[in-house]
Amino acid sequence: MSLVEVQHITKEYVKGDQKIAPLKDADLTVERGEFVSLMGASGSGKSTLLNLIAGIDRPTSGQILVDGEIITQFSRTRLARWRAENVGYIFQMHNLVPVLTAYENIELPLLLLGLSSRDREKRVNIALEAVSLTDRADHYPRQLSGGQEQRVGIARALVANPTLIVADEPTGDLDAETTEQILALLQRLNTELGMTLLMVTHDPNAALIATRRLRLEKGVFVESSPMMSLAAVGGK
Amino acid sequence: MLRFIPYILKTLWRHRTRTLLTVSGTAVAMFVFSFVGAVQEGLDRLLHDQRQDRSLIVFQANRFCPSTSKLPEDYALRIRKLSGVKDAVPIQVYMNNCRASLDVVVFNGLPAEKLRSVRPIALSEGDWSQFERQRDAALVGRAVAQRRKLTVGQKFSIGALTVTVAGIFSSSVPTEESMIYTHLEFLQRTPGLHAVGTATQVEVLLDESAEAQATCKQIDDLYRAGPVGTNTRTKGAFQAKTVGDLVELVGFTRYLGLACVLMVLGLVATTTVMGVQDRLREHAVLQTIGFTGWHIFAFIISESLVVSLVGGLLGTGTALAILQTSSLALGTEGILIAFLPSTSLAMMGLAASALVGLLAGIAPAWQASRAEIVPALRMA
Repeated sequence: MSLVEVQHITKEYVKGDQKIAPLKDADLTVERGEFVSLMGASGSGKSTLLNLIAGIDRPTSGQILVDGEIITQFSRTRLARWRAENVGYIFQMHNLVPVLTAYENIELPLLLLGLSSRDREKRVNIALEAVSLTDRADHYPRQLSGGQEQRVGIARALVANPTLIVADEPTGDLDAETTEQILALLQRLNTELGMTLLMVTHDPNAALIATRRLRLEKGVFVESSPMMSLAAVGGK
Repeated sequence: MLRFIPYILKTLWRHRTRTLLTVSGTAVAMFVFSFVGAVQEGLDRLLHDQRQDRSLIVFQANRFCPSTSKLPEDYALRIRKLSGVKDAVPIQVYMNNCRASLDVVVFNGLPAEKLRSVRPIALSEGDWSQFERQRDAALVGRAVAQRRKLTVGQKFSIGALTVTVAGIFSSSVPTEESMIYTHLEFLQRTPGLHAVGTATQVEVLLDESAEAQATCKQIDDLYRAGPVGTNTRTKGAFQAKTVGDLVELVGFTRYLGLACVLMVLGLVATTTVMGVQDRLREHAVLQTIGFTGWHIFAFIISESLVVSLVGGLLGTGTALAILQTSSLALGTEGILIAFLPSTSLAMMGLAASALVGLLAGIAPAWQASRAEIVPALRMA
């Protein structure tokens, strides 16, 4: 059984007088342990799909199964609880809570899981170590660089040991050197920790680290080979 | 929910100027609310004291200010013989101001041997024998002593009257603590009072069998053809009539109290709405992480509640502390309304703050908890 099964998903919304449908009858499966990159033109629906799989948006029709559960049928509250246990979300803009330290930001998802403070501390320290930020635990987001903030965001996404990590252009706001560090980190999550990742990116270089690369073209997924990705880099 | 308290407090501290201004505004409004509440409580206590129905006040007919009522002192002797009357005590009243004032000092002159039995007072300083021996001795209520900084042995003057403090007393009846008691004869001889052989009023204590209204009528009938006509009422009715104008005024202050509560509601609601609008994206991030809409609802309600309660605590606490230390009493025509801090007033202040905090937070909390995540994440 695939970890993620997207079945005949359509998403429509109204903007002004226009009805927009970024996804029409889309299908996708993601296997456990895969690192899937999703590329596509702006407005192609890749972020919409990511949000649907992460359970923060609802499709107009179709269903999504994650680990055998039909998440599109969940109530709002059940979906939130499911997200807490199963999804780690990495944002492009980091989106750390500014009044909390790096440690407290990473601890946030664990507060929802009913763990003891000792267990939480243990897990946060492991996550901090995984992103090499142990010495920045007490720093507030404003005291961190963009790359460090993104590493805190990654630690927050992985700390609850989720079933699936989704990343929406995680390097979109970073310089080249930091991008390389973040991509290396994401690759380690997949290869060393066996985590399943689904990443939306505009950057063909970033897409290269994935084990499966997909392009969304006119609402249809097209498998993209490493060579195609490199060609895209060259074309840039 | 307890483990999220640091987040809630840090969130409030993030916009500390806004939070502190709201807390200050709330504190000022709750200060006024508590102060007004204390005045109302004082008046309610005065007007609804059940014991007042077992005492009658005989006053000169068609007189209102104590300085114009002059009953022959021996009226008390005849009244004492009526059936149902336990005792009748002539009282001379002297005060520094007949009109409504916050600094009225009221002297009541009674026969020394009667004072102990007719007034619920207990000496906390000084002694009775000193009072009984010394002609110009005065027993001073705790509130007056505190307000005027009087101590035992000290001489002090009000107008033409000079007395020596022989004792300071406390009482279970708050207004008593704003009184000063002297010997009847001494007060009658105050220069300019021309009151020798007269009393301002006679206080009549009824026994259990007596019917108050019938006894009032009996006394007034007794002196209808006498040298000075009387007007007798229960002590409660007498006080209610005397402070009648103040009752209306104090009744009006209820609206002031209500306005204060509404002001707090507006203040806290504005701050909460602003806080929510600033953090639409942050709330969306929290929901993405797995926080439910109810978590967000609870966070915002808690923030609103904390601001309102801290303001309420400061305002109510300050008002009660000032009332406790200042021992203020509003007086008119010799009747005093003591503003005393009470546990019920403190509880009412805090309950009002909590209720307002909840009400102010409900709408913004509901709105934030129902917001769609994806559009909120896209906000700048």
